[in-house]
Amino acid sequence: MTVTHRPSRSEAIARAEARGQRIAAVLPYHYPRALLRAHGFHPVEVWGPPGVPRDEGGRHFQAYTCDIVVRATSFLLRGGLERAGVLLVPHTCDALQGMGSVAGDFLQPSQHVLTLYLPRAGRPTDREYLVAELRRLSDRLAGIAGGRPTDAGWADALAAEEAADETLAALYRDREALAVGDREFYEVVRSREYLAAEEFVEAAAAVPRGTAPSGIGLLLSGIVPEPMSLFDHLAEAGARVVADDLAAGARRLYPPSDAADPIERLADRLLGSPPDPTRGTPIAARAAALAGRMAAAGAKGMLIYDVAFCEPELFDVPLLRRHLGDAGYPVAHVEVELGGELGHRVITRIEAFVETLA
Amino acid sequence: MTMGHRLRLGAGSAALRVQRWRAERRYDRRAPDPGSPLNPPLRSTIRMREMMSRHYLAGRSVSGSRPVAWVTSGAPTEILKALGYHLVYPENHAALCGARRRAEALSSAAEDAGYSRDLCSYARTDLGSLLSGDTPVGSLPPPDLLLCCTNICQTVLYWYRVLADHFGCPLVLVDTPFLYGDAAEPHQVDFVRRQLEDMVPAAEAAAGREFSLDGFTAVVARAKQASDLWLEILERARHRPSPLTAFDSFVNLGPIVDLRGDQATVAFYESLLAELDERIARGVGAVKDERLRVLWDNLPIWYRIGPLSRWLAERGVNVVASTYTHAWGELAEMMDPAEPFEAMARVYLHPILNRSTGHKLAAMRRMVEEFSIDGVILHSDRSCKPYSLGQIDQRDRLVADVGVPALLLEADHNDPRSYAEEQATTRLEAFVEMMS
Ligand code: SF4
Ligand code: SF4
Repeated sequence: MTVTHRPSRSEAIARAEARGQRIAAVLPYHYPRALLRAHGFHPVEVWGPPGVPRDEGGRHFQAYTCDIVVRATSFLLRGGLERAGVLLVPHTCDALQGMGSVAGDFLQPSQHVLTLYLPRAGRPTDREYLVAELRRLSDRLAGIAGGRPTDAGWADALAAEEAADETLAALYRDREALAVGDREFYEVVRSREYLAAEEFVEAAAAVPRGTAPSGIGLLLSGIVPEPMSLFDHLAEAGARVVADDLAAGARRLYPPSDAADPIERLADRLLGSPPDPTRGTPIAARAAALAGRMAAAGAKGMLIYDVAFCEPELFDVPLLRRHLGDAGYPVAHVEVELGGELGHRVITRIEAFVETLA
Repeated sequence: MTMGHRLRLGAGSAALRVQRWRAERRYDRRAPDPGSPLNPPLRSTIRMREMMSRHYLAGRSVSGSRPVAWVTSGAPTEILKALGYHLVYPENHAALCGARRRAEALSSAAEDAGYSRDLCSYARTDLGSLLSGDTPVGSLPPPDLLLCCTNICQTVLYWYRVLADHFGCPLVLVDTPFLYGDAAEPHQVDFVRRQLEDMVPAAEAAAGREFSLDGFTAVVARAKQASDLWLEILERARHRPSPLTAFDSFVNLGPIVDLRGDQATVAFYESLLAELDERIARGVGAVKDERLRVLWDNLPIWYRIGPLSRWLAERGVNVVASTYTHAWGELAEMMDPAEPFEAMARVYLHPILNRSTGHKLAAMRRMVEEFSIDGVILHSDRSCKPYSLGQIDQRDRLVADVGVPALLLEADHNDPRSYAEEQATTRLEAFVEMMS
């Protein structure tokens, strides 16, 4: 069964422009959506895109740079982001550090290049810093937009984005009661990357209720499930993703905050994100959280699905394998390039892994 | 420390001293080598080797008598020094393995355990050493504390999380926001200063010792003295001919990284500086026939330092300066023992690796001018992404705007499998020709 029509990325952009919003192109992956909205910007995320060749980006970044950074640079240089007034590059990793810096210093596109450094721990001092860092970003956005958000603007932005975040969390909670396969499920989850908050809530509401298809339960870990045909291959192998640890998925299930100040509220929520290697979570704590998630969802094993050259993910692989192995969960690891379809070797590895879990 | 340990350390120390005397005697008696394109290496390097060996030797018997911390190369170690910690620098240890051609085998051990070949080769070398127990220094003392500072890369945080898991000891993080702009903003300085202050109780607890502000201030003062001297040493390369090569400075970097804050380090760099001044007075250059002067960007290729230095010298090329070695000297002026926490917060935010690609280009342009540079080699280091990303644009700007030939040399700082000798030689030949 498939879900009803959702606006496409370009339709969502056109609608945002029609509402008088400006477009902010945003690189992966933690950032304060409500902050952008409060300042009149509609965030549209850029995860590559996978179909864009590395050519132009490859003239600025070495071959050992991940696809997200190189393809996003190609896309920028080809004019793919020309409707955006702002390019926000969160400092997720060394590769995005390079992209943010090269874009600002050398590429100097027509968009304003903004950066955001997220602290790598959750200590009181990290919170204080993040609040100040978000205020700095807010000042920059206010400078570009020509004004600061009103209290009503803040209230609208927070309410809308928090409602959408709660909808995303509910999708995950209700996964077993959604009558859609993994591909459809993740298409809806990932539509949050470009839809307005209200559009996303609508899209989620349109997902048919019923019973989720059956299959050997897997937890899918990694950055982004591209190509999305991965889910078709998993289904063919008899597997189903019952939980995830994806940067483009459950790593962005932000907890609520009761702080009254909008920026403090955003900081609390970002700092409360689930365990994540890019945020410095100790590996044992991350493994324990993953094991808990797998137990709760009935997953039999974990598939780590990494973008090639992604250091934050690659470092944890051996210890995750060990800790989760000790907890009774086998782990398989594959690395992929984003362009094109999945290679035979990867498909065979995935099939073989699923077979061992059967 | 047990009596047995003390005796072994004493005996080892005496043996190292005798080794140094012998090496110095050999050095003083050696006949000139007319066939070499290089003048004799710096005599002080012999002493540096003794210092570093002594440090590793002390590490073998330090457990139980002094607290031990494993630290990243850009970490704010002055606080730990003031608490009497013995410091281990996994990056320095990995470089040593690289220089002694042990990195490939150790990296393979890490890869066999599942660590990807795409990870930083320092991390792979060290994790391989940890997993196999193999190290050219005998053994490394296990840490009571890990100190990780992100001012060189995020990689170190991933790596130290693995170490924390392995050793089960506390990991103290000093997180230093990357500086995209011209200088650190007040909230960034506050963030780092507070982390330095918060680090004190954690370090005290792991050490079982009390922190003394006076002790800290004294360490900062000595670290500043040594960093000032290091910068002076590097600046001596402005002379024509230069009394040292960047390869000499790579090799003599150990004490300023590992033993910063020690009086012996200050004394060592004073003697190295005196040796350089004496060379300058005699008109002796490191390269006998220095015709071309080159700037090196990024880490060295540890396993090719000797051959590369010789190959270039044969063609009259002296690599006189590097952005990498300057990183440990250029921040000396920010160090202020009168305001140690605030000043150190600034210092540890500003290393070149924590600054924008545009800042690095500006630094290179300045060095081209100040060191009368004829060409730039940008080592595109496969496994050090933070240093390498941005180099393509930096090279293009150096060529187009500054008018110097600039070569992007593909390699890896520690993993010889990523170095294609023939291809590198062809590219270097073309580069030298372009400068001539
Ligand atoms: S894929 Fe990995 S290395 Fe690349 S941008 Fe994402 S987190 Fe960074
Ligand atoms: S990635 Fe680069 S800066 Fe970081 S530890 Fe490795 S060599 Fe050093």
